[in-house]
Amino acid sequence: MRVILAEDSTLLREGLVRLLAEEGHEVLAAVGDADALLREVEAHAPDVVVTDIRMPPDHTDEGLRAAVRIRELRPEIGVVVLSQYVERNYAAQLLTSSAERVGYLLKDRVAQVEEFLDALERVHAGGAAIDPEVVRQLLIRTTHSDPLTRLTPRERTVLEALAEGHTNAAIGEKLHISLSAVEKNLNAIFDKLGLHRTTGYSRRVLAVLRYLES
Amino acid sequence: MSDGVKEPVAAPFLLRVAGVLIGCLTALLGLGYFVVAGAALGAFLLWPRTRGRAHALLASGARRLTGVERWRRSLFFHDTFPEHRASDQQILRYLAARTYSGLLCAVVVGLVDFGAVLAGIFAVSLTTRASMTWVDVLSQVVLGGTLLFLAVQGLRALTDQDARLASECFGPSERELLQRRIDELATSRAAVVQAVDVERRRVERDLHDGVQQRLVALAMLLGRARRGRTPERADALLEQAHKEAQEVLTELREVAWRVYPTALDSLGLREALGGVSERSALPVRMEYDVPDPLPPAVETAAYFVVSETVTNAAKHSLADEVHVAVRGSGTTLTVVVRDTGAGGADPAGSGLTGLHSRVAALDGTLRVDSPLGGPTTITAELPCA
Repeated sequence: MRVILAEDSTLLREGLVRLLAEEGHEVLAAVGDADALLREVEAHAPDVVVTDIRMPPDHTDEGLRAAVRIRELRPEIGVVVLSQYVERNYAAQLLTSSAERVGYLLKDRVAQVEEFLDALERVHAGGAAIDPEVVRQLLIRTTHSDPLTRLTPRERTVLEALAEGHTNAAIGEKLHISLSAVEKNLNAIFDKLGLHRTTGYSRRVLAVLRYLES
Repeated sequence: MSDGVKEPVAAPFLLRVAGVLIGCLTALLGLGYFVVAGAALGAFLLWPRTRGRAHALLASGARRLTGVERWRRSLFFHDTFPEHRASDQQILRYLAARTYSGLLCAVVVGLVDFGAVLAGIFAVSLTTRASMTWVDVLSQVVLGGTLLFLAVQGLRALTDQDARLASECFGPSERELLQRRIDELATSRAAVVQAVDVERRRVERDLHDGVQQRLVALAMLLGRARRGRTPERADALLEQAHKEAQEVLTELREVAWRVYPTALDSLGLREALGGVSERSALPVRMEYDVPDPLPPAVETAAYFVVSETVTNAAKHSLADEVHVAVRGSGTTLTVVVRDTGAGGADPAGSGLTGLHSRVAALDGTLRVDSPLGGPTTITAELPCA
């Protein structure tokens, strides 16, 4: 895939460029701030953009704002943001429009090369990639008030995998259960959470996440 | 106290005597003024429509006379008054009270003189005429001595009152001083809290932008090494990762040192400052002359003043060297950092504001002198008492 990177730490930027090149991806540009990122996206039309959230000049949420903007202007480009911490609001801002071609990963996830590459592939394929840690924290934060408490432990793990953006087949593989068992669990989850049964996993992720934030 | 009325060094006795005598004369001036101005303005003062103007006029004249009193107090009694502008009401009240006590003082001085003359006559008559009995002599001496004692007491009380009146009118009152001090403490306390937060933010930034990024990069190198297509490739990446791990350690040491230089506790200020000049990108000339041991809080503040300003100079000033002088004189530690750079340092910048708060918290002062074109001089004075 054709990628543009935005990351202010030179060290990390170089590392990412090398990693992606080794995997056979094409890095069109690697920049250190949000303005340059927007310019490069305009110039190159990449498949996927990977951006850090905190970048110069203010080190607040420049990367996130750029990501939201890219999603508005060019929804066909996949966007993966790298966050320092789990930030509910950031995740919400990024996922409000749709949960397609979008990723929200903790920066440390980059260190787990396989998972990072896998998340990138998923976003490129039109799906979502939400960091397992983010999902875990969202689940923890909402347990006190809602029907999630009514889920069985098994359903919970299925929901987490679902929220991360995995397909049913991938969930089955991940948890070593059959596809039909996954579907059964999902149906039970949707019933308990009062969500409409839908197809297309990105919409399911969106529904789940929105539900978790409510 | 940082801005109270300082305990003045007492003026020589004769000078003070002269001051008291001059005070008697200025009291006559005051009396004259009140009589004349009172007669001229009295009617207007009573009439509501002209009262304001007349009052202002009366007060402005009184202000001039009060200026004379102030001059007398500073010249003859070495009083030092802080910057303070009294209200018209205060001025008039002061002048009235001061005139009254001055006149009283003149009366007492007159009585003492009169007593001295009588004592003289008495002494002369003792030597010429021997018609007086011992009882007469003794009773005269006792009476004279008692009157003299009372007069001296009166004079003392009146001069004390003169001093008190002056300090009440020309300086802030005790209450105002306390209020001022409370404001000062509240401000510096708030500033300290803010400075702590700024420091914390900086530590977070240091950890996030430095150490964590390096660790992620290191983990990524290891991840790539594990995916290495060939053993040679994997080896090369491992070697890089090993190097990177050492860099991370260095970075971590630096960050920890910036948070708090432990050398301060174990080796003292001098050694810690030596560490600053070793680390500095610019050559640092260090003068250190502190004879007495310093309180830990002062050492820490002095250390941060030097390390921050030297870092700033290296970053922004384009200087080619920095000169640091740390001098202790029993009660005060003075830190002067001068660079030969382009000047234009902003005292309101976050670094300098933090330092300012740190110094103010110890009742010290921090001055930044950085004209465009340089040089920049930063002077911190820290009380060690």
